[in-house]
Amino acid sequence: MNYGKEIQIDYLARVEGEASITVALDDQPDIKLKIFEPPRFFEGFLVGRKFDEVGDIVSRICGICPVSHMTTAILAVEQAMGIKVSDQTKILRKIMTISEIVASHLIHLYMLAMPDYYGLGGVVEMRDRFAKEIVRLMQMKEVINGLTGLIGGRALHPVTHLPGGFTAVPSMEKFADILKQLKQIKPKAAEVVKDISRFSVPDFHSDSEYVAIDNENEYAVDEGNIVSTQGLNISVRDYLDIFEEAEASYAFAKKSTIKGRSSFMVGALARLNNKFDKLGPETKSLAKEIEFVVPNDNPFYNNLAQSLEVFDGINRCIELIESNKFEDEDINVAISPGQAGAATEAPRGLLYHWYKIDRKGFVEQANIVSPTAHNFLNIEKDLKKLVEQNKDKDRNQMCLLCEQLVRAYDPCFSCSVH
Amino acid sequence: MNNEKPRIGVFKYSCCAGCEFQLIYFQEFVLETLGAVKINYCRMLQSGGIEEGPFDVALVEGAITEQWQADQVKKIRAVSKYVIPIGSCAVCGGVPAIKNTAEEFEAEQRVYSDLSAIHSVKAYPIDQYVKVDGYIKGCPMGVRDLTELVISLLLGKKPDFLEFCVCVECKLKNNICVLVAYDEPCMGPVVNAGCGALCPSHNRACYGCWGPMKDANAKALADRFEKMRLSRREIIGRFTEFGQPQTEWKPGQF
Repeated sequence: MNYGKEIQIDYLARVEGEASITVALDDQPDIKLKIFEPPRFFEGFLVGRKFDEVGDIVSRICGICPVSHMTTAILAVEQAMGIKVSDQTKILRKIMTISEIVASHLIHLYMLAMPDYYGLGGVVEMRDRFAKEIVRLMQMKEVINGLTGLIGGRALHPVTHLPGGFTAVPSMEKFADILKQLKQIKPKAAEVVKDISRFSVPDFHSDSEYVAIDNENEYAVDEGNIVSTQGLNISVRDYLDIFEEAEASYAFAKKSTIKGRSSFMVGALARLNNKFDKLGPETKSLAKEIEFVVPNDNPFYNNLAQSLEVFDGINRCIELIESNKFEDEDINVAISPGQAGAATEAPRGLLYHWYKIDRKGFVEQANIVSPTAHNFLNIEKDLKKLVEQNKDKDRNQMCLLCEQLVRAYDPCFSCSVH
Repeated sequence: MNNEKPRIGVFKYSCCAGCEFQLIYFQEFVLETLGAVKINYCRMLQSGGIEEGPFDVALVEGAITEQWQADQVKKIRAVSKYVIPIGSCAVCGGVPAIKNTAEEFEAEQRVYSDLSAIHSVKAYPIDQYVKVDGYIKGCPMGVRDLTELVISLLLGKKPDFLEFCVCVECKLKNNICVLVAYDEPCMGPVVNAGCGALCPSHNRACYGCWGPMKDANAKALADRFEKMRLSRREIIGRFTEFGQPQTEWKPGQF
């Protein structure tokens, strides 16, 4: 160690939201991920709002995963009120959820994470050296945002999605058009996987429990049980009995743990570690080509896991559109009191919303646990191990390693605080 | 106008960061734009950068909900030629300002048991604290007004931002009026345009995410909602989801 007793990374760049890292280097390094993103108190001001406003309001928790918050909240509200939806609505939700995961991963991989691996400050500097990659990213993003926007009215804070279903459904001609574009970007998605596999990833092993949603039929994003690599297998109904949140004195985000156990990881790597076998055959052979095997306990590989989900996600959107017909439907909703929770896979991992609705349809209580709250303690655990293993590195290298690790988790501090 | 590229600073306060993402979603123009301007500070896009300015344009997203943000935005004002709030949170308080409808610390108490570290004040837009030079409205901010800003900056002209209500866009699209024809509680008559009448074009009443239009007749619309048998609570809800602090919508907040 040739630097002082403490290192501090103020206001982490290229992450969503605001946080800094402090590392005190005594015998036992003490790591704090100080999430200073100002709280907006969503769970507080949702109380008293009408059930059909909840989706629109919570989408504003996050500008990168608005669909996830909106969909999870609507699922919870529907269960609380006993609202049934059509199979078509379920399929449209699935397509929107997957398309958002793909778009979010693309932004994270190229604009937030990639500059680290080439010693650049950001995407503006990448413009000259990686012109081909940036143009490809823009083309892919335009198509995949186009798909989210086609179903949602707009990609960022969609407007068509309400408890009970969609207010408008695009014509089959429009689906045919986007299908053509999706097929055009599919080979580009394979290139994305290859781009990311060229990152030189630090050798690091984290002894973590990986948590994801799983069901028998598919690579689950919005239906199924919550499972883990250490044998957890629970219904979403039991979430609050198994997971608990604690406040931290130095962060506005809360820390989630599995009761009686400890921290865990959610996100693309956690999903692959739990359900790699449910990826499409083409994705699996692509994974083989780049020698990606599960289980993988290196969080830096979360980037590569995301790239595989980009490829798999585009394929699944193609399949879902090709194998279904869509038409306008009526939304029928009757107000009835109740309480329920729902979970989905947001781009960054397990997302949980819970609501209690009164007999007039107003929210009485709300609870939201975001992927980054789920990952919070595990990020600190991994940072600590990383620092211990790299005590010989100089200050700049150490800072970069720490930042790289946090970015690999793809944290969203706006979500984590909300 | 000199030939130096305009220097841009992008700042984020209490919000979802969606407007910064909208800068990235600005895909068809993003490469040209990045070539035409100099982004000197944008924490989400790049490490480093010069937080202290000076800037030709400071784009500010998010509502002000803590004292340090108010202090900082004043410093930004002092070193920037133009300050433009982007998106509803910065323009009119947006969703974070819903909490202003409750007693001080009521919403806060529901979320944290230990409030000793919470220094949250009522959520206000940027112009509550500093003079601004225009608004890019929308949630997320509208691409049309963003394009208008960038072009104006490069040409050295005054930007012509949209200042009329959603109804105008709806009529231009030949939509059937969801308020008159279907009795849907549409906020269109009091909401600033820019979205292209997105919700009414998707069989749904406008819920006001672009925030208040100037000179809006909120009283007339609130009366209309009352005749449609919306409860007082529901009407207040519609007028406080985006733009709680704004005087234009006060008549709907009773």
